[in-house]
Amino acid sequence: MAIKTDHKTFKGGVHPPYNKEMASSQPIKAAPVPAEVIIPLSQHIGAPNEVLVSPGDKVTVGQKIGGSEAFVSAAVHSSVAGTVKSITEITGFTGAMVKAVIIESAPEQPEFEKKAGADLDAVTGDRVREIAREAGLVGMGGAAFPTHVKLAPPQDKAIDTVIINACECEPFLTCDHRLMLERASDLVSGVKLLMKAVGAKSGIVGIEANKMDAVDEVRKAAEGEPGVSVEVLEVKYPEGAEKMLIYALTGRKVPPGKLPSEVSCLVQNAGTALALYEAAAWGKPLYERVLTITGPGIKQPCNLLAKIGTPISTLVDFCGGFRGEAGKLILGGPMTGWAQKDASAPIVKGTSGVLVLTADAIDVGIEQECVRCGKCVDACPMFLLPNFIVQYTKREEWDKAEMSGALDCFECGCCSFVCPAYIPHVSYAREAKAEIAALRKR
Amino acid sequence: MADTMQVTVSPHLHRRDETISRGMRNVLVALAPLGIWAIIIFGFNVVYILAVSCITAALSEIVMRKIMRRPVTLSDGSAMVTAILFAFLLAPTTPLWVVAIGSFIAVAIAKELFGGLGKNIFNPAIFARVVLFFSPLAVYSQRYARPFFWKTTGFFSPVATSINNNVSSGVVYKTLAGNSTSLVTAATPLSLFKSGRLLPGIVTGPTPVGSTWVTSSGRPNVGGLFLGLKSGTIGEISILLILLGGLYLIYKGTVDWRIPAGIIGAFFLLTLVTWYHPVDNLFGGGLFLGAFFMATDWVTSPVTRRGKWIFAIGIGVTIFILRFWSARPEGVALAIIIWNPLTLLIDRYIAQPRFGEVTNPLFSKLPILPKSKPVPAAKSAPEKT
Repeated sequence: MAIKTDHKTFKGGVHPPYNKEMASSQPIKAAPVPAEVIIPLSQHIGAPNEVLVSPGDKVTVGQKIGGSEAFVSAAVHSSVAGTVKSITEITGFTGAMVKAVIIESAPEQPEFEKKAGADLDAVTGDRVREIAREAGLVGMGGAAFPTHVKLAPPQDKAIDTVIINACECEPFLTCDHRLMLERASDLVSGVKLLMKAVGAKSGIVGIEANKMDAVDEVRKAAEGEPGVSVEVLEVKYPEGAEKMLIYALTGRKVPPGKLPSEVSCLVQNAGTALALYEAAAWGKPLYERVLTITGPGIKQPCNLLAKIGTPISTLVDFCGGFRGEAGKLILGGPMTGWAQKDASAPIVKGTSGVLVLTADAIDVGIEQECVRCGKCVDACPMFLLPNFIVQYTKREEWDKAEMSGALDCFECGCCSFVCPAYIPHVSYAREAKAEIAALRKR
Repeated sequence: MADTMQVTVSPHLHRRDETISRGMRNVLVALAPLGIWAIIIFGFNVVYILAVSCITAALSEIVMRKIMRRPVTLSDGSAMVTAILFAFLLAPTTPLWVVAIGSFIAVAIAKELFGGLGKNIFNPAIFARVVLFFSPLAVYSQRYARPFFWKTTGFFSPVATSINNNVSSGVVYKTLAGNSTSLVTAATPLSLFKSGRLLPGIVTGPTPVGSTWVTSSGRPNVGGLFLGLKSGTIGEISILLILLGGLYLIYKGTVDWRIPAGIIGAFFLLTLVTWYHPVDNLFGGGLFLGAFFMATDWVTSPVTRRGKWIFAIGIGVTIFILRFWSARPEGVALAIIIWNPLTLLIDRYIAQPRFGEVTNPLFSKLPILPKSKPVPAAKSAPEKT
């Protein structure tokens, strides 16, 4: 039973074991530059990028290597100085084939030259959007939606509140926690840039109550900044889901199928706000990110600043290697992350962590018949009927699956987490969503 | 290590100990005190009934699963829960062969023939009880023994009921030793109200705990009703222990509090309004056992919060109607079995408004008959998180 607190929250959700202490005390350190980086050309939701380099080209750190004219897209940049070795198809972290640029890094890696003298107070909202687009910013919590698109809401929707998602409600992950502890003032500058971009009067940083030290740091940094505030949220999964977070902080409910702009909100991840600050102040594109390497299957859990395109194996080796019996290797958090069959995939802009579970830490059950206990219905933060979505998907009754709310599922996994019959609801919901989308296109 | 990683869909965590067998074990733990209390009140005969019920249930499940070529799932414990719940609905002197028939009906017919756990549309225990109730075997399962009747028959001796048409009471109890006695029957508190009689002499006299069975006006003592010093089925007698077990299950998350609250609340309110022996009706019969352990069955109760309230209040009202207007003193089992199949309708057609839904419709617009092909409807852009 949950302990009732007066912290803000939403209805539904679950309380998984958090296991944050494994890595939360580890300061961010730089990961080694790998001999070769594998940079997928499209790391965002939206139109695919065109490749801008060819094999044999010399590239520098931060050079644009992929871009698109389409509005919903995000450019990719080289994360190392070196030579383009090849452009090839690789198996991405989701299992789908993606085009990637493989760059052999030069033995000498020059530091990225920070552009000095940017006056952050003078930039306009339009300029912020441009900066975000040039830097290839995407949502760094995992969904990887292009940031500049989010910063350009429909004309008739005025944004009054920018919400910074610093909940980090996924168990195990601690990278946002460390960022807030170590770079609170830069984060607040990023929040101000976001507010400026959409013309919002207030900016709220939402932090779960298990990171009170971060709350203190950010509060200190936000002191005297008009409109910027820090709110403490109940520790519950998925507190950081966009709609849940907006509801917890403002009491506004985003209608089904609508975007946060419908209720005059903009939600950005803490890491994204920081990346925006870096892009605006230093002219630095998004070619590296902070992520957490953790889990019972890692010898030395830690938080690393790693180049985009670094293979997972390089990071795991840097953290002392694997420990214990083989289990699962997950890119992202344990609730929404993607299981990998080996450590060859590269990290991308949306990778918030590498989690390694040992065999004894995995509760693998055999899928049984639904016993209609209703625990999934109670856990679903969107108030959907996960058991019926599964049932209709099994029967391929897509119209009923849609009416049961399949399209509103954002795959948080609460239903499967509590299911006594070990039903993988998320898998069925994905199938239903894909089928419904395919039917619509026809 | 790296080449033997498991690959599954997210989430990669599962709540510890959240399994079907764990839920069933919670129910068994909650039921244990009731069984022990029944043994104290009705003697060792209860153990024989429970044993026969459990063994028959297990055998029925194995046989049915083998016939239907499905994996045997005895280990999930649902057959044991059904068997014990069914036994708890019986009079403590029910002949063992009747128990075996009922247990077979519960597991083999009400559960396995419908497709096994999760597919049954009736609560198996209640289904078997109601079948017995409307069958010629009813006479065996409706004669209730007075508390501590074992003092006349012996604690460990099995009691068998046989019908003797020449005896006005209709029922004679025999022990295996051959002693027969007809002195042990007693009306249940509810049948007393129903027949308009007050307590006959057989239930008067001091109880082992010192108080008396009845108040000065001749009504059953409320304390006795609550603690379980009364005649009735094996499991229904002690309201106190049912409450303890039920609260344990609510704490464990196995049972949703809305269902017992709705049933008992609606029923109690109606008896208050009509002033139909509210307290005695509340504690006198199977209301608590039904509300906490029967109606809360996962498979045969709705999954949504709104549906649970409708289901629970519906059962409460139905129990009242049955007790108030029908010729029978009890109505809990019938009310639950009436509402069990309605669960499917409630789940499908009572809408659960989604997060952020502006309109708050009571009914969902699911088609009643399957459509020939799904109709794609244009909608706004899909959600991005």
